[in-house]
Amino acid sequence: MSAMKDLVEYIAKALADNPSQVNVSEIEGESSLILELRVAPEDMGRIIGRDGRTANAMRSLVRVLAAKQGKRVTLEIV
Amino acid sequence: MEEKAVFSGENVEEAIAAGLAALGLIREQVEIEILDEGSRGVLGIGARPARVRLSPIPAPAPQPTGPPTPEPPTPPAEPDPTEVARGVLAELLERMGFAAGIHTHQAEPAPDEEEGPLVLDVRGPGVDALIGRRGETLAALQRIVRLIVGRRMAERVNLVVDVDGFKQRRERNLRRLATRMAERAAQSGQTVALEPMSAYERRIVHLALRDRTDVRTESVGTGYRRRVTIIPQPAEEG
Repeated sequence: MSAMKDLVEYIAKALADNPSQVNVSEIEGESSLILELRVAPEDMGRIIGRDGRTANAMRSLVRVLAAKQGKRVTLEIV
Repeated sequence: MEEKAVFSGENVEEAIAAGLAALGLIREQVEIEILDEGSRGVLGIGARPARVRLSPIPAPAPQPTGPPTPEPPTPPAEPDPTEVARGVLAELLERMGFAAGIHTHQAEPAPDEEEGPLVLDVRGPGVDALIGRRGETLAALQRIVRLIVGRRMAERVNLVVDVDGFKQRRERNLRRLATRMAERAAQSGQTVALEPMSAYERRIVHLALRDRTDVRTESVGTGYRRRVTIIPQPAEEG
């Protein structure tokens, strides 16, 4: 499991009411990585946050890791 | 002589508290006998106060040495917020690939607060990467830590995440700015409005100027446009 996936999973599980329904999948390209985060429908609001602030905070943190690996990362909450 | 007294209250705890207050004793100094647990009744009908009897325990002979034994610490009802916050931050840092230390301290409270925020300062190699442009990454880290700690604790924990004293340095600059602008407001007799700032930064400005009598501060505006204004005050007469 990649470090980025692990980070997103840790945060999402810590925030979700239904941590068992948290799932992160990776779609890896040559220099980019797409992370798809899935959570229970009732956790969506909590994970995205008001005005998407929580989602953006997660993106910021994942980007720190991505920069270390010289990758571009996109986090989608689907 | 044995003193005994019966006290009542809405519930047992209140009855005990009332009794202790009346006797001027602490819980460890009395024997508590519950006479009636009381009842709230239904919609106030049939309500009955709780009654307890408190009997002072004779004080042991005063010991020649040492101060009076302190009250035994009550076991915390929930985990220590500092430890929970530290643990959450440590887990995040590890997952982000930082071998960093976390130094904690309690910041000075603002005028309207009882307690200042808990500050978690991250120090170690390469931690600058956690600050980000205009402190954005640090704000993100703080947000996530606050949310997770909020989920784990029943009570709200007022906490601040810092990186290598970055916010502390910013704080020093803000205090200087606040003083300069207060001088300007006092001299010109006109209100000075500062740039919009975060709640944390506004708090620093309010704190920096709270002891001045020639100006007062007030935050105006909403959301990300909220800013501190420094309002000159007429000199007090007499």
